[in-house]
Amino acid sequence: MNVMTTIDESVWGARTDGVSALERELARLRRSSGAHAKEQGVPVARASVLNLVVFATREIHARRAAETVNELATRHPSRAIVIVADREPGGRAELEMHCQLSHPDGAQQVTYEQILIRARGAADRRLVSAVIPLLLPDLPVFLWWTETPPLDLPYFDDLVWLADRLIVDSGDFARPDHTLPRLHAVARSGANRYGVTDFNWTRITPWRELVTQFFDVPAWRPFLDTITGIRVGFAVDADGREIHPSQALLFIGWLASRLGWSAVESLAPSEAGGLLFAMRRPDGQDIPVRVRPRFIPGLDEGDLSGLRIQSEVGGRHAEFVVKRSETATHATALVTVGGRGMSERIVPLGRPGVSELLGEELTIARSDSIYEDALAVLVALTTG
Amino acid sequence: MTVAPPLANPLRAGPRLARTPQPCALVIFGATGDLAARKIVPALYNLALQRLLPAAFAVVGAARADLTSEHFRESLHADLVKFSRTKPINEDVWRSFAESVHYVSTRDGEGYETLRHTLADLDVRAGTNGNRLFYFATPPSAYGPITDLIKQHRLTENVNARVVVEKPFGHDLESATELSEKLQGVFTEDEIFRIDHYLGKETVQNILVLRFANGIFEPIWNRQYVDHVQITVAESLGIEERGAYYEQAGALRDILQNHLLQLVALVGMEPPVSFDAKSVRDEKLKVLRAIRPITMEQTDTNVVRGQYGPGFIEGAPVPGYCDEDDVADDSMTETFLAIRTFIDNWRWEGTPFYLRTGKRLPKRTTEIAIQFRAAPHAVFSQEAAEGMEPNALVLRIQPDEGISLKFGAKVPVQGIRIRSVNMDFVYGASFMVDAPDAYETLIIDALRGDATLFTRQDEVEQQWRFVDPIAQAWAKGRGPVPVYPAGTWGPAEADLLIAEDGRTWRKP
Repeated sequence: MNVMTTIDESVWGARTDGVSALERELARLRRSSGAHAKEQGVPVARASVLNLVVFATREIHARRAAETVNELATRHPSRAIVIVADREPGGRAELEMHCQLSHPDGAQQVTYEQILIRARGAADRRLVSAVIPLLLPDLPVFLWWTETPPLDLPYFDDLVWLADRLIVDSGDFARPDHTLPRLHAVARSGANRYGVTDFNWTRITPWRELVTQFFDVPAWRPFLDTITGIRVGFAVDADGREIHPSQALLFIGWLASRLGWSAVESLAPSEAGGLLFAMRRPDGQDIPVRVRPRFIPGLDEGDLSGLRIQSEVGGRHAEFVVKRSETATHATALVTVGGRGMSERIVPLGRPGVSELLGEELTIARSDSIYEDALAVLVALTTG
Repeated sequence: MTVAPPLANPLRAGPRLARTPQPCALVIFGATGDLAARKIVPALYNLALQRLLPAAFAVVGAARADLTSEHFRESLHADLVKFSRTKPINEDVWRSFAESVHYVSTRDGEGYETLRHTLADLDVRAGTNGNRLFYFATPPSAYGPITDLIKQHRLTENVNARVVVEKPFGHDLESATELSEKLQGVFTEDEIFRIDHYLGKETVQNILVLRFANGIFEPIWNRQYVDHVQITVAESLGIEERGAYYEQAGALRDILQNHLLQLVALVGMEPPVSFDAKSVRDEKLKVLRAIRPITMEQTDTNVVRGQYGPGFIEGAPVPGYCDEDDVADDSMTETFLAIRTFIDNWRWEGTPFYLRTGKRLPKRTTEIAIQFRAAPHAVFSQEAAEGMEPNALVLRIQPDEGISLKFGAKVPVQGIRIRSVNMDFVYGASFMVDAPDAYETLIIDALRGDATLFTRQDEVEQQWRFVDPIAQAWAKGRGPVPVYPAGTWGPAEADLLIAEDGRTWRKP
């Protein structure tokens, strides 16, 4: 007997019987929406710039993802194909499709199409055959995998084969230490076909920007070549549960790959918790790197809480600091040279929501080699 | 007069990091004026919000008033609350930004000495490192004296200096040339950034992207396929409080000389070799030079002027131009003009460009319409083709930015009946981000030293060369300026101008 929840048609639209029935239903919805708009004197446009395929294994995740896509629909009008695959063992394998047209908030002129594919039972290998005919032709395909992607399973390959970009969130991975190295391999092997990105990489973009800005200043630029130490803090929750510091390691991986540092040892936990390890500058100097957990109420687990870069040129000591405010809305960027405060700036630095992160990712249509290089360092560190 | 180029920053790579400019001190002359309050400072604050300002950055306000830096910041804050495009004001970010804001009273020579010391001090203390951007946000009459004082007090010596000047750049060819020569006593032409804020608009830049990033438009972008081009810059506003300025300028100098001719250049230009300042501006200049001049004698037959009388805008009564403040009762200043012109080159020979602009028109809209020739041979019966119109590609600059293509389609009934449909690309719907304000784009570009979106001396002069004879003809001419009721599309003469050629104005 089938015990699974039935699909809420008020959310996902009416059930349709197969791809052509679904296309007919969408056409009907477009027509009635067009007629409605005509009464109001607003023409309806079906603008599409991309296909977005979302994969989830639970309806609640799919629903959240659909809300996110809906929020973005005005910026990135797309056809969204949401796959929910709860693989109940023993159930009869079947695919069920629903569709609906939605007017994103405030944009009467745009509609976007949302399709749900619900896979029951052992239907994994059938998924791709249902997705292909539903893709809008000739537009890029973004595949957003909402949980840990099953990198070794054939149906993951099937779907990623369709994609121009694969979007994951290592913040949601069950075992980031296991999955990230595999993800790196996937990125490498897909180099010419699709790009891979991680919301944890998107989350540190403002941090990278702020650090980059320090060294745009000619007077401070020399300090970049002679960094003597780095500390990066990341948030943990109150019970101090073990969290993989992917953001912190990606940040360090980025600096290391841009500056030509190499890993000399693999990660070792330090006494105070967190990690302590050394990296080597191109000139052979070793740099101690410390990654420290912090409990900060306003932050999500794993988020960067602050960083400190120390350097020395000709006996002059300098520190470059970015510190997140207690409210997690701002950061202070500080520069001290020779013990003297040179600059202190407060800049907005919030915690971007999933829709902001996804929106940012959807603007980038090619692979990001800077990310892949940073990930490579992370992998080198974590796998020794 | 340049400083050694800084070491490259290996961190600044990849698709995600922003175009942050190099460290710089921005000196605003006329810092207590309207432009600084409405545009420049709000743009700077919004750039700070987006983390787009360099880590070493300082603003120095300069004006005649005797103010402390503290008071200056306070008054900027009050303006910001009124004029920022993002609200509410993020006080933490403002406070931090305001710490880099200074004020120097430049009432006299001593003030300029103070300015020199302040800037030298900032170069070291704030790390601005000899990069200076002077922003002339003053009335044009002050450009000359300020330039003299900059020179006299050696503010550009041994540093990397640039200057931004606002429109109007001169009031005719002679004064524009004089002004350029004045500035060139201190700055090289490469260091002079003349703002035409239209070029900072996303959708204006999109004209170049549409034309030169797509392969399908360029082959039909010429006299063989295009019947004519219509460009409309319509405002529903009147002259607001700018009566004194507008009396001198009129629509001719206020809009045609800069914005309209720049739009003609972007639509008409040949493909540039690359999207850099020299290539783009070389091509714009070439097409500006190809615009057929309208002599004083030809003005009456090719140009129509008008002035708004009393009428209604959006249902509310508004006064006529002559009843506005600071306007002469018998003013002959034009608030509307329509013009027929041609571009005498291989691409556009014989294709008319109809341009019009005006105040107190029924709505605020800027659009460029490329009207294509009708299908060469009538295949369908006259009855079927009744609803058929020539194809038109319309680039809407504001509001409701987008592109639409009009083409004929079969009405779904038995037999053939044809209607025109619009295929619409709504810019805001495909990319609904808050487009950055034109001033934010232009200030970042000027700080970075990228002059692509600024007008060069030869362009400005060519534009005056086109406008001057028309201005002279009107100055000589006696006849009354045709009056159009506010809230209409200009005087009947404008309709006649285009009707002579068997065409009509679009209703944008």
